[in-house]
Amino acid sequence: MIFRKLFVAALATLSLAALSPAADAPSKKIDVDLSRMSGTVVYGMVYQMVTYPKRFVGKHIRMKGIFSTYYDNEIQQRFFGCVISDALACCSQGLAFELAKPRKFPDEYPKEGATITITGDFDLASEEDEEPYPIIRNAKMTNE
Amino acid sequence: MPELIEKLSFYLEFPFVRYAIIVGVLVSLCSSLLGVTLVLKRYSYIGDGLSHVAFGALAIASVLKLTNNMLLILPVTIAVAVLLLCTGKNTRIKGDAAVAMVSVGALAIGYLLMNIFSTSANISGDVCTTLFGSTSILTLKLEEVILCIALSCVVLFCFVLFYNKIFSITFDENFARATGVNTTLFNLLIAVIVAVIIVLAMNLVGALLVSALVVFPALSAMRVFKSFFSVTIAAATISVFCSLIGIVIAILAGTPVGSTIVAADIVAFGMFYSIGMLRNSGN
Repeated sequence: MIFRKLFVAALATLSLAALSPAADAPSKKIDVDLSRMSGTVVYGMVYQMVTYPKRFVGKHIRMKGIFSTYYDNEIQQRFFGCVISDALACCSQGLAFELAKPRKFPDEYPKEGATITITGDFDLASEEDEEPYPIIRNAKMTNE
Repeated sequence: MPELIEKLSFYLEFPFVRYAIIVGVLVSLCSSLLGVTLVLKRYSYIGDGLSHVAFGALAIASVLKLTNNMLLILPVTIAVAVLLLCTGKNTRIKGDAAVAMVSVGALAIGYLLMNIFSTSANISGDVCTTLFGSTSILTLKLEEVILCIALSCVVLFCFVLFYNKIFSITFDENFARATGVNTTLFNLLIAVIVAVIIVLAMNLVGALLVSALVVFPALSAMRVFKSFFSVTIAAATISVFCSLIGIVIAILAGTPVGSTIVAADIVAFGMFYSIGMLRNSGN
């Protein structure tokens, strides 16, 4: 059973590698560019993404925000996020992201609190027995 | 300029921006209509008191983990509005003292409850959002917009239908009673409408800034216009215009919605004050 799962996973990885665009291919069209919007609208937009994530699945997103990271001791996994604040700076919301090309933490990541721009595909990640949460996959990160 | 218009039309494609404008216009229209009556009855500060009561009720609703906060906030705010506006002069604690007591009391109890029975990881954020509106106007759900439209229609209908009675109660309650107007009933109606408007307006500008929506348009209109009818129409126009301008600036410039609307109201007051002064000096 476990061998079959491993085989399917390997096959899926190979298929994705074969289908993935070449490094110099033209970049995908951005469906939602949060980096061009004002702070007030960005906050409203991210609220929509977090509240109604299914509407945004598959969209290519670009967002600018604050780099944040969190280590979950229970599942021993580190999460990375891009956080934005509202106009009063009293509330903040963020989206988790997963880099297309994984980097070493902490050496290859910016410092927590640094301004970053993330471009990637909006998706829903799900853990066992938990509500799916929004995540930006295949992300590219640039920091200022 | 064309760039700004292009940017605005781009933002208007998002439903949540359209919801914010619809709710903003309706709330400012309703609050300005009743604002004239409240200012003339010397109850300018009641908006502040009731919004703090609504904040306290919101804290209780959060502690009780109610799915629909409105089920508690609206009845509690209406009950306090009735107590404050309908008991009149037959109370031991009168007018402004009662409003001040209720205002600070509800604010303190609300904050205390939020801290003791915290259900959120970001208490200061929740408090800040409720008090200053923050971006709650941009996070409205469709059902909240529908509720706001329905309540605004009720308020407008009541105001138009009972305009003459509200007018007579506003200027001389004793005379209105002598002419057969059921002043108790209409004071009760005004109290209920005021409470509904305050609860609606909390989403737009937050609990601390609600009074501005009630007071500024009425005072601006009173600088230039003299009759009750013309002041009411002018206050409604000023309020809607300032709200629209405030929301548009907040969206384009990324400023907080509530305080931008209030800033637009202050500028309008300054303009109308100057016009009034110029007219008086001309006369």
